[in-house]
Amino acid sequence: MAMNKYLVFLEQREGIVKKASIELWNTLQKLVAVHEDIAVCALLAGAADLQLLQATLVGEGAVYCASDHGFSLYNPECYANLVADTFKREACSALFFADTILSRELAPKLSVRLKAALLSGSPVFDAAGVDSGSVRPVYSGSALASFHSDRSLRIYTISSFPIITPTPSRVHIDFIPLQQRCSVSGEELFPLIRMMTMRDGIQDVTEAGIIIAGGRGVGGADGFALLEQLALLLGGVVGASRPAVDEGWRPHSEQIGQTGRTVAPALYLACGISGSVQHLAGIGSAGLVVAINSDCHAPIFDVADYGIVGDAPLVLRKLIDAVQDFLKKK
Amino acid sequence: MNIAVCVCQVPDTASVIGFVDGLIDLSRVNEVMNPYDEYALEEAVRLKELFTGSVVTVFSIAPASAKEMLRKALAMGADRAILLNDAVLSDPYQTAVALSRALVAFYADTLPDLVFCGKQSTDFQSAQVPAMLAELLGMGAVTGICSLHASSEGLQVERETEGGVESFDVHYPALFSTEKGLNIPRKTSIKSVMEARKKTIDLFSPSLDEASYVVMTGMKPLDRKKRCQFLSDEKELIRLLREERNLF
Repeated sequence: MAMNKYLVFLEQREGIVKKASIELWNTLQKLVAVHEDIAVCALLAGAADLQLLQATLVGEGAVYCASDHGFSLYNPECYANLVADTFKREACSALFFADTILSRELAPKLSVRLKAALLSGSPVFDAAGVDSGSVRPVYSGSALASFHSDRSLRIYTISSFPIITPTPSRVHIDFIPLQQRCSVSGEELFPLIRMMTMRDGIQDVTEAGIIIAGGRGVGGADGFALLEQLALLLGGVVGASRPAVDEGWRPHSEQIGQTGRTVAPALYLACGISGSVQHLAGIGSAGLVVAINSDCHAPIFDVADYGIVGDAPLVLRKLIDAVQDFLKKK
Repeated sequence: MNIAVCVCQVPDTASVIGFVDGLIDLSRVNEVMNPYDEYALEEAVRLKELFTGSVVTVFSIAPASAKEMLRKALAMGADRAILLNDAVLSDPYQTAVALSRALVAFYADTLPDLVFCGKQSTDFQSAQVPAMLAELLGMGAVTGICSLHASSEGLQVERETEGGVESFDVHYPALFSTEKGLNIPRKTSIKSVMEARKKTIDLFSPSLDEASYVVMTGMKPLDRKKRCQFLSDEKELIRLLREERNLF
């Protein structure tokens, strides 16, 4: 059987490789552990903390590091050239990206350039560990659609994974520097990042492990102080539903749902959120869902593991007290 | 300045997407302009108002029934509309190829100065067509922009990224896909609707010899329902999260 080689794009920002990229590599390594004909390599564009990276990657394979400073900031043309060159040189059959703002721009570009099918969502693997398509929600999460491609090359932007066991035991990763530099002919024709302004000290909702989200039931911008307090205690971040953002209580960057971000935290605490189809479309990959709402018939309870019926600010105050009590006893 | 805007139709947010005998039932669906495309069109019309002599042309791959949506686009300020009359394509690559050919044919082998698309459609949400279209046309592109400042020399755009904002310097010609927050699309007035009736909607038949890259092989209802355990005690919830789920 022919060898299938997968290329993982490791996305870094300010020298830190994204958690979703690392999870992507580590999950694909589970296929390598059981299928001899599957190999995985990775490409890191831009300089990053390799020691930190080494401590988090499992399995085996080469990580190609293009550390020319021109790759530090995202540059559409340079990145596309670098990924396409690496993909061809390593004779890969599939290219995997974590589903991010960057990959949503870069992957379609590469799909045209490499004449490769572009699939998104959760990948599907056959019995030999070869990728054969993807499944993902459509129509605001009302339906789950399956996609397939017959093309010999495939690109994936991955937002979730099927459950794959086992976890690889061997760890043997080679970090191989690439000399390739960021240069493009006709560069002046293409968009260039002038600057990137990061919000200080606040983790993004798409990367958070715990999200305390609020909706109309929180009552106003002031009510979100309680959510912030609880988020701080639990080491999470604050999210918001569309009504809370439309009211101007929270910034759009915190909006979760169809017209906002899609999130995948281990814990999603929905406070005063009724749970419209559009909102639920953004939390399909959340682990444990806890809902607080004054209306016991609110649809959010249909997708929740635990529920408390009550006025959100009132329940939040009691929750904060309870967490503080627990942390004291620690 | 020539500005092209690509729009599509999607079920409105109040539409009920159900299943009958295991097949998706779209009979109770009301089709409207994709909300993200409204931001694209609004931005194009604002630039037309800024740069006199500009022409905004709307392109859509849709069935003939989409004329009503295109009338709305004309009422919002577009000058003409091109309906690529075809069954709706479900493969983003084919859609991008059909759009790129229509643009090349319409602009007689020159590129428009600007192309605007919505960030994604709200039904299939693939968000792939804009960047594919830009690559096919050989144009620079920034997807998901939430701010745009244009001068005759170039543009500055911003987009929200995970944890921050990226600012780009862009030269003409360029393609942008638009995110919520870029602008507030105008409402159409009776006067603008009347004026739109005088504008033309041209029918093009897209040539489609390209094979699809991806096919949809099935669709099934997505059941997210869980059995919710109702608690009356906040302390009990915290204990469960901490001791049984080990979450913090």
